Amino acid sequence: MSLRELDLKQEPSCSSGSLSNYLAKDHPDETKWADCVHCGMCLESCPTYEITGQEQHSPRGRVHLIKSVAEGRLNVNEFFADPVFACLDCRACTTACPADVDVGGLIEEARGQVRQAMPLTGWQGAVSNMFLKGIFPKQNRLNTLGSMLKFYQKSGVQSVVRKTKLINIMPKHLVEMEAIMPEIKEPVRKRYKNEKVIKAKGESKREVALLTGCIMDVMFSDINEATINVLTRNGNDVVIPQNQTCCGALHVHAGDRDTGRMLAKQNMDAFRDAEKVVVNAAGCGCMMKEYAELFHDDPEMREEAEKFAEKVEDISKHLHDTGYEKPKAELKTRITYHDACHLAHGQNIRQEPRNILLDIPGVEMVHMPNSDRCCGSAGIYNITNPEMAGAVLESKMENVPDDVEMISMGNPGCMLQMAMGVEKYGRSQKIVHTVQLLDWAYQKEDGKGEN
Amino acid sequence: MAFLKEIKTNDQHIHKLAGIVGSARSILYKKEDLLAYDCDGFTIHKHLPRAVVFPKNTEEVAAVVKYCHENDLPFLARGAGTGLSGGAIPLNNEIIISMVKMKRLLRVDLENRRAVVEPGFVNLKLTNSISERGYYYAPDPSSQYCCTIGGNVAENAGGAHCLKYGVTTNHILGLEVVLPNGEIIEIGKDGVADEPGYDLLGLLTGSEGTLGIVTKITVRILKNPEGKQTVLAYFDNVADGSQAVSDIISSGIVPAALEMMDKTAIEGVEAAAFPVGHPKDIEAVLLIEVDGITAGIDEQIEQILTVCRSRNVREVKVARDEAERGRWWANRKTGFGAMGAISPDYLVQDGVIPRSKLPEVLARINQISEESGLRIANIFHAGDGNLHPLVLFDARVPGETEKALEAGSLCLKVCADVGGTITGEHGVGIEKREEMRFVFTEEEIAAQTDVREVFNPKNLLNAGKLFPSPGRCVEIKKEMKASAAL
Repeated sequence: MSLRELDLKQEPSCSSGSLSNYLAKDHPDETKWADCVHCGMCLESCPTYEITGQEQHSPRGRVHLIKSVAEGRLNVNEFFADPVFACLDCRACTTACPADVDVGGLIEEARGQVRQAMPLTGWQGAVSNMFLKGIFPKQNRLNTLGSMLKFYQKSGVQSVVRKTKLINIMPKHLVEMEAIMPEIKEPVRKRYKNEKVIKAKGESKREVALLTGCIMDVMFSDINEATINVLTRNGNDVVIPQNQTCCGALHVHAGDRDTGRMLAKQNMDAFRDAEKVVVNAAGCGCMMKEYAELFHDDPEMREEAEKFAEKVEDISKHLHDTGYEKPKAELKTRITYHDACHLAHGQNIRQEPRNILLDIPGVEMVHMPNSDRCCGSAGIYNITNPEMAGAVLESKMENVPDDVEMISMGNPGCMLQMAMGVEKYGRSQKIVHTVQLLDWAYQKEDGKGEN
Repeated sequence: MAFLKEIKTNDQHIHKLAGIVGSARSILYKKEDLLAYDCDGFTIHKHLPRAVVFPKNTEEVAAVVKYCHENDLPFLARGAGTGLSGGAIPLNNEIIISMVKMKRLLRVDLENRRAVVEPGFVNLKLTNSISERGYYYAPDPSSQYCCTIGGNVAENAGGAHCLKYGVTTNHILGLEVVLPNGEIIEIGKDGVADEPGYDLLGLLTGSEGTLGIVTKITVRILKNPEGKQTVLAYFDNVADGSQAVSDIISSGIVPAALEMMDKTAIEGVEAAAFPVGHPKDIEAVLLIEVDGITAGIDEQIEQILTVCRSRNVREVKVARDEAERGRWWANRKTGFGAMGAISPDYLVQDGVIPRSKLPEVLARINQISEESGLRIANIFHAGDGNLHPLVLFDARVPGETEKALEAGSLCLKVCADVGGTITGEHGVGIEKREEMRFVFTEEEIAAQTDVREVFNPKNLLNAGKLFPSPGRCVEIKKEMKASAAL
């Protein structure tokens, strides 16, 4: 098609009825892009636009391309896939947008179209299938993977691999990830398998269900442990439904919306009896609040998902709203706080975690400029788009104040990415989850703490 | 130049241009990428560019321009692409020279109150970079969060605070410009406010990218005002609101900003991302800001409150703190984009009228709205008479785009008829070319295109913008001139 012909193809899709080049089901939602008037207020909020300066890598540019496919001006092909998959899905544009355009939702829908039209093949397809379908949704396999990693760390294989430079056969960004792998402990879902309810310490005020998460429970089971401690200390009975599964965010971000829907259904079922579902991973909380998006063609499921969303709450918001005991022990540390995208932009939770941190005696908070700028983790983006993720991380690390001992945040993906940043740029900060700091303060108060 | 192998196209010009900008990543030529550049903030016309190049410095810009000049390739410069009149739309399949990679703040000279920036530097970032030291850059178009100072120079951008401080041209001290043949020139002497000879800075500023490409800009920066107070006033009818505006100005106060929104505009901003709780049933809201030395501000505010009350204000309040002031301004400054919340598309007009004519003009715009069947919201820099009627429409409905264009044009006709003009700060671009005839005769337009020819004789740079295509008599005159020269 020549450029001139393209110029002529501008009649709206409704006039002919069938111009759209979205051929698969579950296509991007027209009402979402109808809100965008192309004003450009989103540009500076977008990390990939900041780095590339190119509008196809900006929010309004992506919305424009997604709309152009529906208008028959573009096809779903690898060149369309590039800008759509280069998006971090960080939602900073949603915060900046005067008209509340749901760019994130459009991107996820467009990715669904790309993956249906051109499934991943070769090693990419194999790896993606193995992780997204074979491991994250399967708790026992995740646990096995966890055990393998634990063996890798404990048995001495890790140190042999590192010392013999065997590690250099891996791509650079994976080496950087290996270097910051947290110490693997026992998952809480396994540990509390036989406890129907983990009782509140002292008077019980309410019961909450906890999403333990897939990666969270394998890589960061100590954060889940800290979450349980903090909840039970503040009058919450905690239940951990055993049939819960991965929230599906990684799948939806990758365009695998069918698996996303399957996991959403399983979780909605698993948490059916819960009045409140507490989540300590921003990405998972945001996803679960948006399950309705996955069912926009299915009114019944959509309604159920909307009801479910009302039960989902981030741990910091839950503590803030229901009240928590202010710790009495002093932690004496200088910290800074990083806003996880899916907390700040995705759930509009900014002040609650900061208030919790400021309530800990001895914690001095140093402001991080652009604290709500993405760190480049973005689910598995740092694995699929290492170069861009690295550039985003670099600009993030430039904003981390020098004179702090810890960086606190509320999302495991960010924790891994920021840990990588600390390692890569020779910084010294410890990466912690907000509830961990609170838990340490409680423990110190009880005379058990290490800090 | 091994990277040239990565360039997958038969267009040899693309290979040559890639060689000039030095990497495969500094040029776009695939349809999927180019589509993101087929319009700017004016979305009614869409045209694909031939390529987009991203030069890193003046020399690269000059080399690209020289190449285009020698090979007769149409080209134009683009900043953040937030312009509202279509000035950056590649009508002629242009090579777009994107300035966004040239985004450094080169120098801040507080002693002489000036700063030097590259054209891709974002407007608000200048103020953010110097505010801690007590300074700011005054021109504040509503898109200042993302628009570039280079684009501001091209359009002679205004903003809410231009009532007191003037528009972009009043803040430009020097420019480095690449002329349409690739030659680099400097105008304005470093630090000297006004040079003898013709005011070329004034000519270049607001020339809408038709005379040259700005590659370095020296701007004036100002000391932060010592004090600042902001007032919000709700009126039950527009006439009272506009009379209050006139009364405030004639009482001798020069507010830093004096903004007005009408009922439909209020509906839009309240439905969007930054609502502040304006009552739904009021006809007009005024946002008034006074700044300067602290002594006297309270007195001025008291005077403003008295004026509003004497004009039957329903409610009037002073911002309690910086946070509240910030919310009021965010609500106002995102007003255009906010229209997305109540309409799929909008067309913003940019008329200027004598303040006293406001009630009459609003009534006539209302009539245009009724006759066209399209809603029109009004956002208004009331203090300097700069009116923005926002025509709301749905491009998916056949015929509505044309209707909106016509309604917009009629609004400008009204402005011109009451003794005003067709643009205050958004520029003419593609959008208002024909409306230039409301305010200029054919001869006056021809005189201006003659000026363009001095700078841009081949008319390869941003052709087809700013002026209507020549009318019959001008063409004949030109032919006569040409034959006389033979």
